[in-house]
Amino acid sequence: MECRVLSIQSHVVRGYVGNKSATFPLQVLGFEVDSINSVQFSNHTGYGHWKGQVLTAEELNVLYEGIKLNNVNHYDYILTGYSRDISFLVTVVDIIKELKKANPSLVYVCDPVMGDQGAMVSSYPHTSSYAKWQPLLLFCDIIFHRLLTGRKINTEEDAIEVMDLLHKMGPETVVLTSTDLPSKQGDQFLVALGSQKIKKPDGTNTDQKICMDIPKVDAVFVGTGDLFAALMLAWTHQHPKDLKTACEKTVSVMHHVIKRTITYANEMAGPGKRPTPAQLELRMVQSKADIENPAIVVEAKVLQKSSQ
Amino acid sequence: MECRVLSIQSHVVRGYVGNKSASFPLQLLGFEVDSINSVQFSNHTGYSHWKGQVLTADELHVLYEGIKLNNVHHYDYVLTGYTRDTSFLEMVVDIVQELKRANPNLVYVCDPVLGDHGSMVRLLIIRVPCCMCVHAVMDLLHAMGPDTVVITSSDLPSRLGDRFLVSLGSQRHVRPDGSRTTQRVRLEVPKVDAVFVGTGDLFAAMLLAWTHHYPTDLKTACEKTFSVMHHVIQRTISYAHELAGPGRRPSPPQLELRMVQSKADIEDPAIVTEATVIS
Repeated sequence: MECRVLSIQSHVVRGYVGNKSATFPLQVLGFEVDSINSVQFSNHTGYGHWKGQVLTAEELNVLYEGIKLNNVNHYDYILTGYSRDISFLVTVVDIIKELKKANPSLVYVCDPVMGDQGAMVSSYPHTSSYAKWQPLLLFCDIIFHRLLTGRKINTEEDAIEVMDLLHKMGPETVVLTSTDLPSKQGDQFLVALGSQKIKKPDGTNTDQKICMDIPKVDAVFVGTGDLFAALMLAWTHQHPKDLKTACEKTVSVMHHVIKRTITYANEMAGPGKRPTPAQLELRMVQSKADIENPAIVVEAKVLQKSSQ
Repeated sequence: MECRVLSIQSHVVRGYVGNKSASFPLQLLGFEVDSINSVQFSNHTGYSHWKGQVLTADELHVLYEGIKLNNVHHYDYVLTGYTRDTSFLEMVVDIVQELKRANPNLVYVCDPVLGDHGSMVRLLIIRVPCCMCVHAVMDLLHAMGPDTVVITSSDLPSRLGDRFLVSLGSQRHVRPDGSRTTQRVRLEVPKVDAVFVGTGDLFAAMLLAWTHHYPTDLKTACEKTFSVMHHVIQRTISYAHELAGPGRRPSPPQLELRMVQSKADIEDPAIVTEATVIS
């Protein structure tokens, strides 16, 4: 497999968020990963302390220039995460536009939001620019999708409508990683949904919509969103017309990594004590076998297949 | 295995040198790798063009401060590479000294060592360009501190002919009864007809990993290290020639190490070079 990803995310010296979270799994799965570190921090911002430096939009541009001057600005995927800095974001968009000219089949995987930053996103002034990016693969946080579509999700029908609205903005694949929909398996589960547009051999369009019940975890993890995006990239690449399998593998890997992490964290903290952010760092390296070949622990249900 | 490495090396967006060359293999072998990127460049400097930014000594200090404030500055190994900047190097030395106070068993893997910092170096990799008495060289280096010395290439004539170069290693141990012993090994390593970048960084990382797994068996550690290098380089050469086409010299981008593709070899290398114990 010769597949090259450009990942523009944060770097932490210690721990697993941003590029640290995305790179190893993608490499383990055989992807070439070029990584631009948008920041370099000692650790993620959930610790007691954090220190480091940020990359400016100008510096990002300089790095890209180096890649371009060598004529190696050819990527199959581009993966970006969260960015607070508007000028940085604008530079990222310019880079993506150029990369798409170099390779029209480029897939842009965008995970624009960290859940806890909902308040910041709701005041984010350039929401319309997201639409202009025409990302082909878009991961939505519940708050973000409300911003884009103006719709709340109360029922499965609402979810389907929201995903269709998001498709209209460009992405062929939409995943709602968590919703407030009640799970049939009880309140220890949350509901995630996905929708993928597929072109049939006869030229007509169809779509596959799936739904999964995911066990809730009693802990706050950092870096799981970045890992999720990277895994979705990998598994939708391996299973391009089978969102069900791609999602099952992705969510299963997440489950194994998180379980291993919780166990270790509780062991480190000791009985009755809450693990610290340092102890809760994802057990990424230890989860290599699960990343390579995940035992499937969640089954996705196909909701409907409709022609348009 | 719970083993944490602090690696202070360069980062390139594309390709495999510095931290890009060292991290993935170490992670594959189960090491936790904390990495401080001393620079961020688009690619290595062997390409026609390269652009990027460097970390100052102050910025390095700030990053280390963050780690220290969280009381997570506990490492089993420190791995550093080449740096031109003296003030940066001095900051690295200060950090290593502090880390050694936090963990006296810390092993500092340095490729290459510069001058008078040898006293804290436990594992050292050095390229000796000129023909010297290798035992004397290795003993001299041991005297500066390192328990393990590897001379990655020398001008010693190989008994397998001129398509091979000779590498040597020397490791000092203290036996249970308190007496000292030294294991010296010699390897005949096939020469490669290409210039690679990042192989030294990969070598240092692999030597760290395999001496960790075989702490009193330098022979096996070297065999595995050199064998991994062989597989990665062979795969890289084949691919580079394929890309370049018949009769054409591969370009630097084409010669980037096939790191990701060599995962199986890194995890469990088939031994292709046998080390001879020479004393």
